[in-house]
Amino acid sequence: MSKQKPTVMIVEDESLLLQAISKKLELNDIATIPCISGAQAIEHLSNLLELPDAIWLDYQLKDMDGIEFMEHLKEKEAWAQIPVIVVSNSASKSKVHRMLTLGVRKYFLKAAHRLDELIPIVKQFIEENNTQI
Amino acid sequence: MKIKNKLFLIVGFSSLTTVLLGVFLYFTFQPFYITHLLIGLIVSLTLFIVPTILILLDSVIRPITKLTEGMEIVSLGNLGHKVDVRSNDEIGQLTRATNDLVSKLVTANQNLEEKAQEATRELSRKIEELDFEHKKNIEVGGKTLVEKAKDEAVLASIGHGVVTIDRDGNITFFNKAAETLTNWKSEEVIGKPWFETVPEMAGSNTLVSREGRAVFKALKTGQKIFTTTVILQKGSGKIPVAMTATPIIYNGETIGAVGVFRDVTHEKEVDRMKTEFISLASHQLRTPLSAIKWFCEMLLNGDAGQLNPEQREYTQNVADSSERMISLVNSLLNISRIESGRIIIDPKPTNISQLISEVISEVKVKCDVRKQQIAVSIHSALPLINIDPQLIREVYANLLTNASKYTPPGGEISVFISKNGDELVSQVSDNGYGIPKKDYDKVFQKFYRGENIVKIETEGNGLGLYLVKAIIESSRGKIWFVSEEKKGTTFFFTLPLGGMLAKKGEVTLDS
Repeated sequence: MSKQKPTVMIVEDESLLLQAISKKLELNDIATIPCISGAQAIEHLSNLLELPDAIWLDYQLKDMDGIEFMEHLKEKEAWAQIPVIVVSNSASKSKVHRMLTLGVRKYFLKAAHRLDELIPIVKQFIEENNTQI
Repeated sequence: MKIKNKLFLIVGFSSLTTVLLGVFLYFTFQPFYITHLLIGLIVSLTLFIVPTILILLDSVIRPITKLTEGMEIVSLGNLGHKVDVRSNDEIGQLTRATNDLVSKLVTANQNLEEKAQEATRELSRKIEELDFEHKKNIEVGGKTLVEKAKDEAVLASIGHGVVTIDRDGNITFFNKAAETLTNWKSEEVIGKPWFETVPEMAGSNTLVSREGRAVFKALKTGQKIFTTTVILQKGSGKIPVAMTATPIIYNGETIGAVGVFRDVTHEKEVDRMKTEFISLASHQLRTPLSAIKWFCEMLLNGDAGQLNPEQREYTQNVADSSERMISLVNSLLNISRIESGRIIIDPKPTNISQLISEVISEVKVKCDVRKQQIAVSIHSALPLINIDPQLIREVYANLLTNASKYTPPGGEISVFISKNGDELVSQVSDNGYGIPKKDYDKVFQKFYRGENIVKIETEGNGLGLYLVKAIIESSRGKIWFVSEEKKGTTFFFTLPLGGMLAKKGEVTLDS
């Protein structure tokens, strides 16, 4: 079954940022699943009939960090296949390295990038992932 | 009675007796023969003289013999001996006088002995004093004892732990602060091996090997070694210390080493707080800044509907300000990282020409807007140089951005890279506004901005050159400039061709 629109799950605990990202993605013809916490994201994943095409993840969430979130994703084979990009406040070498080994596709420093720069990258990952399947 | 009188008495008495005897014989043996008279005289003389002599002997010879024997006893050492005296004659007087003499001699002898003892005591005191004076001035390792005592007092009173070891690693000196820091007493550790007595922790469970110890390295290399480590105290405690080990070199030979160490528990705590602050700042400031940045972006993109020109202008102002704020946060974070010494220096063989081309292509966008030319001249045969490209890129980017910002439109910027001995010399020149002479000493200060350019160019936080200097200095290089107002400025910096020294840290720039 082919979907109408690609879907991106956004995990970001700052509601203003969550709002901005969702709005921007939707304007770019991408459906969104905004999640304000890691726990909410995991819950949605468990309940959704269709998994998102990509996950936009903040590293430092109030209830868990990126590493814990990635470990949750590894619990189910299907979840582990979803491409994840991290857009975070801090990008220390060790943190980035750790996340990339956990399967994160790309790691961005939040304030250093415009949304306009990030949207095409998300789209590209979705396409790559779809062609693989 | 005097002996003379006795003699007179005896002689008188015997003469009288002799005369009486002669007369008696004369009348008894008639006719008179002279022969009879003579015989009679001889017989009577003999009869009287012999006992007289015997009496004389008894009264004169005996006391003399007694006196002689007494003197012998005295001379043998019995000074308390007294010769018995009964008679009152010359011999008696002589004996008494002798006894008196002996007792006076004894008293005198006693006085003399006391005086001699006193003199001996005085003498030995003098000798001791002289000896002390002498010892004080004996040179011990090039120092007198007085100087040595002063040094020891200094060492005892300073707050840093000080330990000296001989060439075999045995402790020869251990000051008060070292006792406090290690819980060992000086007398317990003197002569013991430093490495085994006060071990260092490498990790949570492993000890630093002998070869890895600063003091050992100082002994072996003859170099001063600085390190931070954790020492194990007597008992089970441990404390973080900063340790400086310096070799003791005498006549060109390393004869031991000095370890100076101090407790850095507090510093570690401050450092941890600073790290926490940095992470707090990075997280807490970047979050709202990201929101401002992204919403401005959407407004300017018309994502919320088209803006009229005035709305667009205001929104652009907000966006520009937020960008400045973001760059300020980034600079402050970078400075904190460099200042805290936690920055990772990760040298890699780097092609300088390529690095500069990359930086120039970034800066060129702004230069083109301002119609500025950039000329680059790079020494043709530069080897790959072992530098941290991320840090050095930051240096060139800052200097080139400054050159562009502080040069009027249409100006010229040039980059000149040359080799000078074992150094790589970089020059970044512009023909811009220049630096006022009175500000020369403030150029590399935090938050400094030239008085002349603040009005012209509002963008800038005064942290760029401070960061540049910090990077260059942590790379074993030097930085300086020449400038003339309204003519332009040239910044020079050097990097050792031998490369930067790698440093394990915790953070990198822009992370």
